[in-house]
Amino acid sequence: MKRRTFLGSTAAIGATLAAPRISFAQSSRVLRFVPQANLSSLDAVAGTQYVVRNAAVMIWETLYGVDSNFVPHPQMAEGHTVNADFTDWTFKLRDGLTWHDGEKVTSKDVVASISRWMVRDTMGQKIKASLDAFETPDDKTIRIRLNKPFPKMLFALGKSNAPVCLIMPERIAKTDPFQLIKEYVGSGPMKFNTAEWVPGSKAIFEKFGAYKPRAEKADWLSGGKVMNFDRIEWVIIPDAATAGAALQNGEVDWWENPISDLVPLLKKNAKLNVDIGDPLGNLGSFRMNHLHPPFNNPLVRKAVLMALSQADYMQAVVGDDTNLWKTCPSFFTPGTALYTEEGGELLKGKRDYEGAKKLLKEAGYNGEKVRLIVATDVGITKAEGDVTADLLQKIGMNVDYVATDWGTTGTIRAKKDAPSAGGWNIFHTWHAGADCINPAPYTALDAGGDKAWFGWPKSEAVQKGIDDWYAAPDLAAEKKAAVAINKASFENVTYIPTGFFLQYTSWNKNVSGVVKAPFPVFWGVSKS
Amino acid sequence: MFAYIIRRVAATIPVMAIVALLVFSLLYIAPGDPATIIAGDQASPADIERIRMSLGLDRPFLVRFGSWLWDVVHGDLGSSIFTNLPVTHMIAQRIEPTLSLMLITLVISLTFAIPLGVVAAWKQGSWIDRFAMLLSTAGFSVPVFVIGYVLAYVFGLTLEWVPVQGYTPISEGVVPWFENLILPSIALGLIYMALIARITRATMLEVLSQDYVRTARAKGVGQRGILFIHALKNAAVPIITIIGIGFAALIGGAVVTESVFAIPGLGRLTVDAILRRDYPVIQGVVLMFSFVYVLVNLGVDLLYTLFDPRIRY
Amino acid sequence: MSVTLPSEYAAAPVLSDVLPPVKKRGRIAMFVHRYPTIAIGGSLLALILAIAVLAPYLWTVDPTAIAPAKRTRAPSELYWFGTDMLGRDIYSRVLFGTRVSLAVGFAVATVASVAGLFIGLCAGFVRILDTVVMRVMDGLMSIPSILLAIALMALIGASVQNVVIAISIAEIPRVARLVRGVVLSLREQAYVEAAIASGTRVPKIIWRHILPNTLAPLTVQATFICASAMLAEATLSFIGAGTPPTIPSWGNIMSEGRALWQVKPFIVFFPAVFLSMTVLAVNLLGDGLRDALDPRLAKRI
Repeated sequence: MKRRTFLGSTAAIGATLAAPRISFAQSSRVLRFVPQANLSSLDAVAGTQYVVRNAAVMIWETLYGVDSNFVPHPQMAEGHTVNADFTDWTFKLRDGLTWHDGEKVTSKDVVASISRWMVRDTMGQKIKASLDAFETPDDKTIRIRLNKPFPKMLFALGKSNAPVCLIMPERIAKTDPFQLIKEYVGSGPMKFNTAEWVPGSKAIFEKFGAYKPRAEKADWLSGGKVMNFDRIEWVIIPDAATAGAALQNGEVDWWENPISDLVPLLKKNAKLNVDIGDPLGNLGSFRMNHLHPPFNNPLVRKAVLMALSQADYMQAVVGDDTNLWKTCPSFFTPGTALYTEEGGELLKGKRDYEGAKKLLKEAGYNGEKVRLIVATDVGITKAEGDVTADLLQKIGMNVDYVATDWGTTGTIRAKKDAPSAGGWNIFHTWHAGADCINPAPYTALDAGGDKAWFGWPKSEAVQKGIDDWYAAPDLAAEKKAAVAINKASFENVTYIPTGFFLQYTSWNKNVSGVVKAPFPVFWGVSKS
Repeated sequence: MFAYIIRRVAATIPVMAIVALLVFSLLYIAPGDPATIIAGDQASPADIERIRMSLGLDRPFLVRFGSWLWDVVHGDLGSSIFTNLPVTHMIAQRIEPTLSLMLITLVISLTFAIPLGVVAAWKQGSWIDRFAMLLSTAGFSVPVFVIGYVLAYVFGLTLEWVPVQGYTPISEGVVPWFENLILPSIALGLIYMALIARITRATMLEVLSQDYVRTARAKGVGQRGILFIHALKNAAVPIITIIGIGFAALIGGAVVTESVFAIPGLGRLTVDAILRRDYPVIQGVVLMFSFVYVLVNLGVDLLYTLFDPRIRY
Repeated sequence: MSVTLPSEYAAAPVLSDVLPPVKKRGRIAMFVHRYPTIAIGGSLLALILAIAVLAPYLWTVDPTAIAPAKRTRAPSELYWFGTDMLGRDIYSRVLFGTRVSLAVGFAVATVASVAGLFIGLCAGFVRILDTVVMRVMDGLMSIPSILLAIALMALIGASVQNVVIAISIAEIPRVARLVRGVVLSLREQAYVEAAIASGTRVPKIIWRHILPNTLAPLTVQATFICASAMLAEATLSFIGAGTPPTIPSWGNIMSEGRALWQVKPFIVFFPAVFLSMTVLAVNLLGDGLRDALDPRLAKRI
């Protein structure tokens, strides 16, 4: 190539690159969203990852849907009738419901979907245990007959905690509840574009033209889901700093969970809004193994409780912003109906390291190794793990810090073997606040010994409290049961909540209609 | 020569078989399985076991390995445990970004490194030489992600010349495609540039001291002619060797670059799959990597014959 | 020099010097002048080694002591390099991290060199082994070291040993190839043929003739491996399969702080500077060694 032409073309390229980017002006009918994690599957019944649930509620719907006060309202159903003792429920589907492939939604689809969901969900399992029969008198009517009263049926069908009771076509709902579904056809306002899906990078949702939203105003899962976008792109950006840069640059419109340290930068940016995303927040969790020493001894567990500083944990997890965390001497979510601090005295006040050391000696702790499993690839668990290592050293315990990844943690924590044989003593996680408002979705609260969640705490008092809650006829009785559960859980130290924390969400100022909810709500959102 | 090529290609099969067995065994022994991740945080141990069984993960090692091998031989790399998409489809989606990144990295590195090395050799001992070598050594010394962040900040956020992340397929326009790739390529290419510049300089020095160059100079051939026509051609062999060796390093660095710049490449696919224990994807990608690597080595060896007629197989 | 001759010999009187005497340079100055890269690289490396050894005495505090209330403070009189996301003093972490990073670098260089030497010698001498070994090396080179590192981490838990093993396995094939190349070319040399013809046993040939010739390129290669191992450790920490968080290393300090680099750049900056300086020093040393030992080696990296 002649030197002149070479230089000429270089200059041309240079000029194009040097011109400031006029706009990432995207159409106002396309929303680009950065989710909290990679979307690797779409089955929100077989798998309970939060990000999967967030995507699934766009594609599928529920018979009933909860609003921001956790009150269920009709969604796919027109309404219901129930007999006086809550054993005979009849639902009628509303008009105009169609699947993304054009077929009509029928009662058979509903029955198959509920059957699949019942196997995996705690409330669903209770319904299944007392199920007499499903009946489908016609295409639009479903009848559920139980042999025991279940007053909380509407909440069970309409809740947003995973597994959500999503209604799918019968052929898909017939998939084994322990296998992931392979087809993503629903009746919700958005269709999933499987052809353009690049797992780990991009997931595309397209507006379902034939969707008829309800007339009422939308509120979480209830009301009319009016979609103002033709296309929603979920852009997966693995690196937090890059996601921040992309949001500031206008390359994406909405970032679900900016890390709290970057938030001051985003707040300073005139083009961005920053606000708390989910007012129900999260509860951190310090989970001990009750089957093996030293934590099979309640005195040892109490010693840790005396020295544990929730402030340390919370600052490590969310940073310096005091708006983002609260101490939480309770097993329930602050700000909700059942929140109580009774029984949590040991977590309050000045931390007592000397007292903890004395109690350990009294308990007979003799320097046994404590196997602490830390998933270092997840920010929250890594922060909690580091604080724990320091805490245990301060009270004189012998820590074996096992740094590994989330997947391996999942396997190790399921082992009931002794820590020296590949088991564990402590692991960390966190629970969405929405899952801790009452015992129903709260698998980690259970203290049924062998049948309980990992750690296998055993406490008759806690179990009685949970049974009382299920049988409670009104809110006052529920509160009484909750207090009993809280006290008993602290008495036994089933696990230790490390604090209550919130997360921000951030979006471009030209996007409006973003609401606070336990999952990102896309209906009612628009872009100018 | 033809026979040599056949022999080399045939030799790739045992290599890939060894690699496949190694990787499969490693994954089998490693704890953690996709069932726990699919089941999610709140699932009970019984649930997880059910999912494991439905995935066929409770079968003995030889049965699983044998069944996978059988499928591979029939061209079926299986489907991802999570997404249910065929592994070949998932790999195919990510080949274009990875190849594009490597191509532009190579072009940029060669464009800057070879002239740098030539000039350094030509002016050996002068401050240009020392400076060029210091520059290239420095390029070799900084971690890729640090360079990546700085580039993204300066050119993406502050100057707004190019986007900070993402990938645009070439079908949507060459300019956007290039704009998305230029920063990652520079970040990734600095190491390559360093290696190639040094090798070029060293080889050129050796060649320039040869008798035939002195003869050419005596005959009156211009400096440029000597440098480019005689010397560079003879320096080509070691340069190509380095390109081949650097290929493996590129894959490692590419994972980091793909993370920083959110490019949907094979590196990121592999790491995500490993962390989720998506066995079919991991096995498929590693198998493919080893195949490509062996081909690259073969290509490099064949290129030798082009540049150095003395080399014959 | 004055020699007292017996008086019968006539000798010319001592003349005064025509030119002033040339001052001889000190030996160190001579060395620096002839081998500047070795001098600079070597002294820089020595300085960093000194920091590693003397870390506890250089006004540092416990690098693992957390203080979440004092997280991400900017560099100040109290915290020379600032604090990280858990309130740990970065100055102390960086200085103690020197130990880990240098340990990883040297360990990988040693392991890879020794193993590669052994494999290369075997492959070079035993014909049958050659093809097999080289194909296995090809296979090894094609498994990304990242996969290996993450798998090892999942298997046994993250540790410095796993990082060393994972990186070494990636580097051994290159060393093996290098040594094999030297062996193959030396085998054809006249003096080696003569040694074989005169009945010298193979081990003696290796020890006497082959090994000394491999040492020079091996040493140079080892320095480069050391440098690239330190960088690889940082990359592995970035992915999350590097040294465990309880042991500070430059790699994991940078990895933990990288999300905040726009708002708190000092967390990534200081370890990055130290890492770059060390890698630069090692590279310069390697360059210098190569130029000094044999200019012809410059071609064979």
